[in-house]
Amino acid sequence: MTRKLWYVSLGCATSALLAGYALGESWIWALPILGFSALWLLGQRRGLKWVPSLGLLLFIGLAAIGLWLTLAPGLMLLGMIATLAAWDLENFLRRVEGAERVDHRNDLERRHLRRLLMVEGSGTLLAVAALSVDVNFGFGSALLLGLLAIVGLSRTIGFLRRESD
Amino acid sequence: MRRLLLLSVLVYLLLILGLASGNGGIIALSIPLVIYLTATLLYAPESLQLQVIRTLSADRVSQGTLVDVRVSITNLGSHLEEVLLEDVVPNALEMIEGIPRALTEMTPGQTILLEYTVRGVRGRHVFEEVKVRASDRLGLFHREASYHAPTQLTVLPHVTWLRRVEIRPLQTRGYAGPVPARIGGSGVDFFGVREYQVGDPMRWINWRLSARHPHTFFANEFEQERIADVGLILDARLRSEVMINGQSLFEHAVHATASLANTFLNDGNRVGLLVYGRFLDWIFPGYGKIQRERILQGLAQAEPGDSMIFDNLDYIPTRFFPVRSQVVLVSPLWEEDLPILIRLKARGYQLLVISPDPVTFEAKTLGSDPTASLAIRITRLERTLLIRKAQHVGIQIVNWQVDKPFDHAIHASLGRRPHWYRAVGLGIRG
Repeated sequence: MTRKLWYVSLGCATSALLAGYALGESWIWALPILGFSALWLLGQRRGLKWVPSLGLLLFIGLAAIGLWLTLAPGLMLLGMIATLAAWDLENFLRRVEGAERVDHRNDLERRHLRRLLMVEGSGTLLAVAALSVDVNFGFGSALLLGLLAIVGLSRTIGFLRRESD
Repeated sequence: MRRLLLLSVLVYLLLILGLASGNGGIIALSIPLVIYLTATLLYAPESLQLQVIRTLSADRVSQGTLVDVRVSITNLGSHLEEVLLEDVVPNALEMIEGIPRALTEMTPGQTILLEYTVRGVRGRHVFEEVKVRASDRLGLFHREASYHAPTQLTVLPHVTWLRRVEIRPLQTRGYAGPVPARIGGSGVDFFGVREYQVGDPMRWINWRLSARHPHTFFANEFEQERIADVGLILDARLRSEVMINGQSLFEHAVHATASLANTFLNDGNRVGLLVYGRFLDWIFPGYGKIQRERILQGLAQAEPGDSMIFDNLDYIPTRFFPVRSQVVLVSPLWEEDLPILIRLKARGYQLLVISPDPVTFEAKTLGSDPTASLAIRITRLERTLLIRKAQHVGIQIVNWQVDKPFDHAIHASLGRRPHWYRAVGLGIRG
């Protein structure tokens, strides 16, 4: 089940980004998208641990470039969301398959998918809302808000890193 | 931790790029990642409070016996969404069945059992800790802990049950036993003749001798049989260890020592053990089953080791063994050991050397190369010469080729011959 969902997520991420770039007639980006997708697939088959993280970085980078090139924001967001799902699912599968014994595997998978759906769903809703709301800030206000966001995030991440073993 | 770092870097990059380019869309891309991080923060596991109990089906077993291990882990704290439990199994134990780790979810009060079966080589194996790694469902935030639940498994050396091993120490102890005491009295073997004394059984009277002396009766005397002091010395010097294709000559020596200790103790003798290697490890002489257990436990821990001081047998503490008692050395035997053995013999100890043959043991792997064959022949000659020299000074030697069973080797050399065999004078060995 999870494995199938991983294939679907990767396929969805690749298709969304490809479609976004195709609609913007930026065909030159199709090759790197397909290449990165193939690399991720190959890395999964070979069990290379660094590939999902690289895949996440590259696909989100491509989505950001797409937005910067003013391509379809919905498709870029979809690509990014699907990439995050693929990255999460691959890490989950590694944990499960590396454990040899998994108690109530189906329950564990179902609960994980539910949490992922909740996180991705709320993330998508908020991101869509952010994309559809048009608010104009002056440079100073934008900078202040940006700094506030960075400080807040730094504190949160710092806390997580301190607490996590 | 790396995943957390990666997500953080991505969020920062998207924010900075979005601010730098003035593109709100790029900033919006960071929102799902921030939500992902927030979910981790919300559902991160609290401090771990687990109770770990490990039980073994047996804490002392002989080699090859299977041991069932059962680890019970109870969650005394809060709900753990995803937890990896792992019992750290000592390296020398072979996993036969079951898995010592599990990925699971633990509700408060829930108990998870890890059950598996192991088999071990000789030695003392300590199960130390159970490792626990709990995380949220997304696997981003971890809490790790190790729970100490020390449990010890002793794998005793293999013991071969031997029939009686004939020893003849110069001095025995006061209690009846199986060892000829070199003293006349009641027994089985003829010892001598003395003048008849009141109380001697009539059937002891030597009628043939009495007939020659009309006014005196003579009675036969028999050799008393008593228990003896036996000191076992296991040579655990590193030079006495030969490893061939994962097989160890020292293991054969340990097996021989355990089998001899078992036999001597079963015969009622007082037996002590000295392991002579990296340091001196001894078990004071004693009797019976408790002493057998002590010796087997001591042998379970014996390891070959190197020491500059104990590199030769000069430092055998002779005061450990009663004067004129039986000393049994289990050693492959080296040329430089002979003078020390002669010295021990001169002090009155009756010496028996059980020598696992290192030449035959190693020769099996050398093939039929002419140079190797010549080397083997020379080494074998040197060893034969060494054994003959030792036998010449009255040291009993059993040259044990370890591919043959120990009981066969020991009985071929030391087994007690039948009465008729000894009666015709064939039972006496050097």
